[in-house]
Amino acid sequence: MATVNIAMVWADALLWAQQPQIELSWNTVIRWALWLVLGFFGAFPGIVAYMVWAERKVAARFQDRIGPNRVGPLGLLQPIADAIKLITKENIVPRTADQWVHLLAPVIILVSAFLVLAVVPFGIGLTPVNLPSGLIYLVAVSSLSPLGIFLAGWSSRNKYSLLGAMRSVAQLVSYEVPQVLATVPVVLWAGSLSLNTIFDKQMEHGWFVFSPPGFLGFLILLIASIAEVNRTPFDLPEAESEIIAGFHTEYSGMRFGLFFLAEYLSVFAISCIMTAIYFGGGTLVPWSDFPAGTLGAIHSAYLPASINATFILVNLVLVAVFFAKVGFFIFLMFWVRATLPRMRVDRLMNYAWKSLVPLSIANVLVAAIWYELVLRPGVVFKVAGWDVRWFVGTLVTAPIVLLLIWLVARCNRLSEKAEVASTTAPAAAR
Amino acid sequence: MTYLFVFISVLGLLAALGTVLARNLVHAGLFLVAFFFTVACQFVLLEAEFLAAVQVLVYIGAVAILLMFAIMLTRNVQGDMTTTTSRTWLLPALVGGLGLFFVLMFGINDQVGLKGRMTWASASTRPEIPRAGEGKPVTPRSAAINDMGRMVGREMVTRFVVPFEVAGLLLTAALVGAVVVAYREGDDAESPRRGIQPTRLHGAVTVQATNGHADGSDLPSTASVTS
Repeated sequence: MATVNIAMVWADALLWAQQPQIELSWNTVIRWALWLVLGFFGAFPGIVAYMVWAERKVAARFQDRIGPNRVGPLGLLQPIADAIKLITKENIVPRTADQWVHLLAPVIILVSAFLVLAVVPFGIGLTPVNLPSGLIYLVAVSSLSPLGIFLAGWSSRNKYSLLGAMRSVAQLVSYEVPQVLATVPVVLWAGSLSLNTIFDKQMEHGWFVFSPPGFLGFLILLIASIAEVNRTPFDLPEAESEIIAGFHTEYSGMRFGLFFLAEYLSVFAISCIMTAIYFGGGTLVPWSDFPAGTLGAIHSAYLPASINATFILVNLVLVAVFFAKVGFFIFLMFWVRATLPRMRVDRLMNYAWKSLVPLSIANVLVAAIWYELVLRPGVVFKVAGWDVRWFVGTLVTAPIVLLLIWLVARCNRLSEKAEVASTTAPAAAR
Repeated sequence: MTYLFVFISVLGLLAALGTVLARNLVHAGLFLVAFFFTVACQFVLLEAEFLAAVQVLVYIGAVAILLMFAIMLTRNVQGDMTTTTSRTWLLPALVGGLGLFFVLMFGINDQVGLKGRMTWASASTRPEIPRAGEGKPVTPRSAAINDMGRMVGREMVTRFVVPFEVAGLLLTAALVGAVVVAYREGDDAESPRRGIQPTRLHGAVTVQATNGHADGSDLPSTASVTS
């Protein structure tokens, strides 16, 4: 038994060698400080500011308007003006509010949104912190935000705030389940929780989204992530027309600005995560490691020994492609928001628990089939010299995935019919 | 490193004290969250970042949220009416707490290690962990420290598969039991349907069962109306 265990560990030695090991040397400290100052205080809030501008422009296009166009050319200075306005506005706290908790709540939400970005591999050697269990870390820090939202609603002493907080916590807790389960196929295929290893595996095997279980997993992740950041059609916690903005009704000035910042930052963060775990990070072409491959076999977590012009060029391409993909997902969310109306609360819960959760659990099994057919080292399907593993895998798993979706939809329809019958029958008897 | 440990420990103890001394339920919950967070920090100091992440995920992400939910669903939503400290319970609580403290203190101090190894309580530095690629073999120990997620997963489905499954079964049973306990009242077909009325589209909205005499009104139960 013990020998078997040791042997298994030895077989994993290659993968284990890729596992990151963080040394707290002076070098690392400087790198982290640079990330903190340039990335987390500089670049990301800037990106968020211009996301707001982009959203207003996109929504305006959808609604046949012009959008912001007064401040600067194309309204490009509008975010700066907004920021100045938010900072200089008076900060009003209700007298009955719980002062400390009222201050703490937006900070918790903002911290949770920022921390998510700490493990995203933007390029080669461009991961702020490369954690061996990055995905678990992601789930852990993003689970802080319901706490912040609840505290915001509770500390305001306003019944609309409290209603918004209750809705929000129920929704976030429900959608966390399919969101986490939708990332399990990726962990299974990459054999690691580290986002860098996942990125490397995708350079080796192609983007994970291009497989039936991967595509289903990506869709579930996308839907659940939109619900996690409280955006339309899942914006019940801050429904303006029902509960006047919900949990942040009583916030004004820069504290409200912090909520705003956190929301857009989370949108940016989940787009980064979807890009990193399903869409191959910064790779340009699905089944090739094209820009990174020219550097030879390297691990994306570490900077190479010598930084030359080729490396910088490759990294620039990687980061540009990464942000292009992120921009696409952000646009997708703006599109959804400008198009779809809000969901009803019971449908929202039914959708999470009766559709997304069963589908994502079953998807893990399909992902295992895909792993056995396509990704397991040593599996070979050859037809006339061509490697047809991918086609075999798709032929086998695609019908299963379609069958699963049909089955879940059918079961839901039948149970809904039965419920309608059972609720209307007593009334008819009466 | 030691200073960091002492700093975090003191913060954790203060948070734990705040949990029991806070007059407001939600404040007590927040102190508890802070305490859980310092425990996660301790795990990071022990180079067990997987455990730290799980600690944050389970205790802050799930237990604390559940706690807040419980507070929200009670009548005392604002949470500012905690029970006063009862004098009669002061002495038993003190005896119990100190007893537990001494048991733990002596237990940890006199802990006997495995054969041929030193006790963990007296160890202040950890043995060197060989790194892969330096020609040293990968021991299970170093793999467990450097790749904790994988090792925990493997142990869960091999050595500890029965306890794991039993725990899962227990949790499922508790969940189903909670649903059964909570659903019994709403399922009562004889209760008068006042308050929220289920419409055809709402499906399984649980009806608030307010019995006629429970809320002070003297309406007869609709059981007589329906039958």
